[in-house]
Amino acid sequence: MTPLDDDVPLVDPAESLRLIERQRAEAERILTPDPRLFLWPWGVAWLVGFTIYFLRFGPDNRVFVDMPSWVPLLVLMGLIIAAGITTGVYGARTGRHVSGPSSEQGLMYGITWTVAFAGTSIVLGQVSELLPDDKLNLLWAGVMVALTGALHMVGGAMYRDRYLFALGAWVSLINIVGVIAGTGWHSLILAIGGGGGMLVAGALAWGRLRK
Amino acid sequence: MIHAQARLRVVSALSMLREADRVAFPRLQEILRMTAGNLSVHLRKLEDAGYVEVTKTHRGRTPATLVRLTRRGRLAFEDYTAALRALLDPQEES
Repeated sequence: MTPLDDDVPLVDPAESLRLIERQRAEAERILTPDPRLFLWPWGVAWLVGFTIYFLRFGPDNRVFVDMPSWVPLLVLMGLIIAAGITTGVYGARTGRHVSGPSSEQGLMYGITWTVAFAGTSIVLGQVSELLPDDKLNLLWAGVMVALTGALHMVGGAMYRDRYLFALGAWVSLINIVGVIAGTGWHSLILAIGGGGGMLVAGALAWGRLRK
Repeated sequence: MIHAQARLRVVSALSMLREADRVAFPRLQEILRMTAGNLSVHLRKLEDAGYVEVTKTHRGRTPATLVRLTRRGRLAFEDYTAALRALLDPQEES
């Protein structure tokens, strides 16, 4: 147990503890994925996508900006797919640096999101033709957002991250409020509360990590 | 073993991993800002003491070296930090 190399033994316990804390903080900073890359692409997708929805399908069938009715869905889906690819690729890349239970857990969580959305889409696709357009939009958006909120809450439980759990609970809550308020309002509430919420959550989580 | 500054840093960084998780060698190097040769030397000493486990594996065709803190290493680290705290604040210990 005697150091044989030129390495300096530490004598001051306070200095040693500071060194330990610095090194642990540095390890956390490098090993923890950047929360902005997980939340901001989704925040932007919701903010822009649902705003366009609101402008085309406003409350009481009002049209604030006249555009073909397929444009909002195309924009929202495009942004969501882009966000999914960004976070998926980034998640897989960060997962390569640490292997073991943590990366397995992350992979399972990622697969859960994909399976949940694919399964729900197929079910909703089967009943979509039975509903008028405004109810159809509300059904799809309401179910998908409910799923997102629940999966964020699960993520919070899994990573013991209260902020992620709170984000999920917040998204779930405003989704219910929006669905009850009806088509149009739902989009507006999700754009600001949901999209904006994720942008703020990403910034807060990043700030905590940088401290 | 870990009272030497560099090895204390290695063990401190590894203590942030969850038990049974392994970190890739280049990533550990980035955290510690050590050269590969320097880090290898310290890891070998820690491995001899049974504090870390170094695994060589393959990711596709590229070889990868993974490092983790053993249970013994984690206990030694915890005892060491507890001892440091006790030195600073003897009343708290009893």
